[in-house]
Amino acid sequence: MAEGVDKAREEFFSEAQELVESLSRNLLALDTALRNKQEDPGLVNEAFRAVHTLKGLAGLFGAKRVGTLSHRLEDVLDSLRLGRLPLTEHVLDLLFRAVELYGDALSVERTRSDDPLPAIDGLIDEFARLGSEVPTGGSPLARFELDQAMLAVLTEYEEHRLKTCVEQGLLLYRVRVDFALATIDRALEEIKSRAKSHGEVITYLPTGASTGADTIELDLLLASGSSLADLEASLGNNGAIIEPIRLRRPETAPSGTSPSVRPRSLPSLPAPAPGLSLSERAPEALEPGVAAHKNIAQTVRVDIRKLDALMNVVGELAIVKNALARLGERIRAEGGRQLGSELHSIQRSFDRRLGEMQNGILEVRMVPLGQVFDRLARVVRQIGREMGKDIRLVITGAETEIDKLIVEELSDPLMHVVRNAIDHGIEVAEERLRVGKPLAGTIALNAFQKGNHVVIEVEDDGHGINEAAIVERAVALGKVHPEEVAQLARSEIFNLVFVPGLSTRKEASDYSGRGVGMDVVKTNISKLGGVIDLHSEAEIGTKLTITLPVTLAIVSALLVRVVGRVFAMPLTSVAEAITLDETQVRMLDGREVMTLRGVTLPICRLGRVFGLAPLPGAVMAKRQYVVVATLGSRRLGFAVDDLQGQQDIVIKPLGKSLSNVRGFSGATELGDQRVALVLDPAALIEEMLRGSETSRERRLGYG
Amino acid sequence: MADLARTRHSSLARRTTGSQQAGLREFLSFRLGNDAYAVELARIREIVSSPPVTEVPRSPSDIVGICSVRGLLVTVVDLRQRLGLEVTAATKLSRILLTNTDSGEVVGLLVDEVRHVIRLSSAEIEVSGSVLGADLSDHVLGVGRPDGDFVVLLDLASMVES
Repeated sequence: MAEGVDKAREEFFSEAQELVESLSRNLLALDTALRNKQEDPGLVNEAFRAVHTLKGLAGLFGAKRVGTLSHRLEDVLDSLRLGRLPLTEHVLDLLFRAVELYGDALSVERTRSDDPLPAIDGLIDEFARLGSEVPTGGSPLARFELDQAMLAVLTEYEEHRLKTCVEQGLLLYRVRVDFALATIDRALEEIKSRAKSHGEVITYLPTGASTGADTIELDLLLASGSSLADLEASLGNNGAIIEPIRLRRPETAPSGTSPSVRPRSLPSLPAPAPGLSLSERAPEALEPGVAAHKNIAQTVRVDIRKLDALMNVVGELAIVKNALARLGERIRAEGGRQLGSELHSIQRSFDRRLGEMQNGILEVRMVPLGQVFDRLARVVRQIGREMGKDIRLVITGAETEIDKLIVEELSDPLMHVVRNAIDHGIEVAEERLRVGKPLAGTIALNAFQKGNHVVIEVEDDGHGINEAAIVERAVALGKVHPEEVAQLARSEIFNLVFVPGLSTRKEASDYSGRGVGMDVVKTNISKLGGVIDLHSEAEIGTKLTITLPVTLAIVSALLVRVVGRVFAMPLTSVAEAITLDETQVRMLDGREVMTLRGVTLPICRLGRVFGLAPLPGAVMAKRQYVVVATLGSRRLGFAVDDLQGQQDIVIKPLGKSLSNVRGFSGATELGDQRVALVLDPAALIEEMLRGSETSRERRLGYG
Repeated sequence: MADLARTRHSSLARRTTGSQQAGLREFLSFRLGNDAYAVELARIREIVSSPPVTEVPRSPSDIVGICSVRGLLVTVVDLRQRLGLEVTAATKLSRILLTNTDSGEVVGLLVDEVRHVIRLSSAEIEVSGSVLGADLSDHVLGVGRPDGDFVVLLDLASMVES
């Protein structure tokens, strides 16, 4: 029982989250529209619906703070859609603040704590200060020969839209269509969507004329800037009869809304037929959330842990499969050729199906990157406004899909990168004017899939990275030896940005200088098995490229043997594997190195680093191999005894009592019931090369 | 005769209701070296005979390694080492007691041999760890004396959560 309640609560939170995200998207679109001096009533309406649904849900689950916020927000959005309140930058700011507050409120509700959220009351006060301005002046509708009976049944919202359209100088048309009752839903949607390209459908009402037992005649009131001929060309083939609603002649224009004047062109509309309720007439205006629910009906919300559990089962099936394969081999070796091949072919088809199943589960875990990009768009807008920088955000590839878990971990690092770009990258307006750049700075977020990886680029058109300043600071901090400066490649200089403690600005700003440096960004990306690279051109801009694996659930790994133990090394960080020529190994700076194609490669003997004792009865390997692993621009060769091939593995995290053990990202089951540790090349490279950095620092200290 | 029936009845009741009976707690007793130890039965989720264990380099010395029990990753702890006893190699009788921890980790305790389940009333539990070694006392709940036997009762939580 309690479990059921918890489950329902969980669903409430994820649905609330979705609604807040959709609200956020609508607000961003409104922001864009506002800047382009356009108006999109549909967006306000959708935002209103999201908040309305949220209010209902919050009431159902006793989420008081969310409920209160939704209630007031709904009022504001209602005033907006009815035109009682003009949409301004300030109003949008408040609305965006509400989105942020929802995040806080939801996490407080989740903990079931009773802590009040004063920020909500603060925002509600500001909402109240907005007041609501009721537009005054004579009704612009008086100019049209509109049927009063129809005007009488318009909702307040429809009336407002009608007025607004007329004020914008749009013409009014009556579109009369005969619909078959059986297909009215689809036909109406179709004609509405066609009409939408010409203008706005204010309302539709049944004419009440009896046209047939299974048909119904509707009048659509359309506000449009198009000519009658255009409309007929576009809508006429549906059997629609289009008539313009004429303007009143000046002398007959009444001062108010006198009912005495009967328009000639629009015959009197009777009241809606008794059988037709209002909700059937305008479902989207009267039943908020209906459209949203329709979409949800096609999808199922699943706890990602359930998918993990399924993935584990698949992993175990893979073990069964391997056991079958071994059995087949044995039967064949023992002379049962016929039986052996039959088993082999069964095992092959099992393998294929298993692969399909694995891919299927992986696909379910995928979500579009747009989820993170939406959040970033909000941040860009907020920071841009607060810093007085005009920022244009260009997003491509928001539909690129990536593992849900990665998306969640990606939000913070990307947020930081974008903050940095706006704060440190994009110049202030005067500076941009001076160098002849467009006033608005551009931040581009590009995502695309490249093989088994997803690439995310964050690009700005700011002044680029001051290479000299970075190098100077790195030297001052002792991260780079002064003698080495001349030898630094540009890519190495850019990589210094990721060194802890390096920030090119003397004073940190509110946004990027919260004690979180690019080194943390890099660490977080590395934890996801990703690689981050940076490139910058003075005066042109900076581009940061993040390459991530598509999924964390399954990785391809190289199995290696070290002093009798098998380890798995994720292929994402393996560049190549070569045989180790001991004669090539030299000592440099107290560590072993070899030369690979003219470049020095430090070597790490895993057996020694891990302190592995030889297993009883083991013979020393005659030949050794070096697996070259890369982390950004850093490389390290791992000396191993044997390469045992490639295998797709499911990584399971080590338990808490092993959380202090460095160098492993988890463990995986091999086919033979044995468990192999999965190496964490990023951590090992970090550890090995930091050793050389400290020795360098020591040398600096004494010299 | 009536007396006999009553005794029989009460012992049956004891067996069937087990730990639910007031003051009666169930422990799983096992052997480490020549000594008997026990942990609360309810906290043991499973007993497995030693699967292949993979050692984890750089891990604390009392962790034998990790193993997989039907897809579940288990951290195996050498109970002798954790208690500061003399370390010996695992034998055919060695077993691993699996227990869940609050962090969600499954910990396996390597013991020399599993004995049996004992039920102790609070009168049979002597709460005094001071007579035992210093390493041990942190993890000891008390001493159980079922039917003249001598069993050291260990506090599972303190051993696996530390």
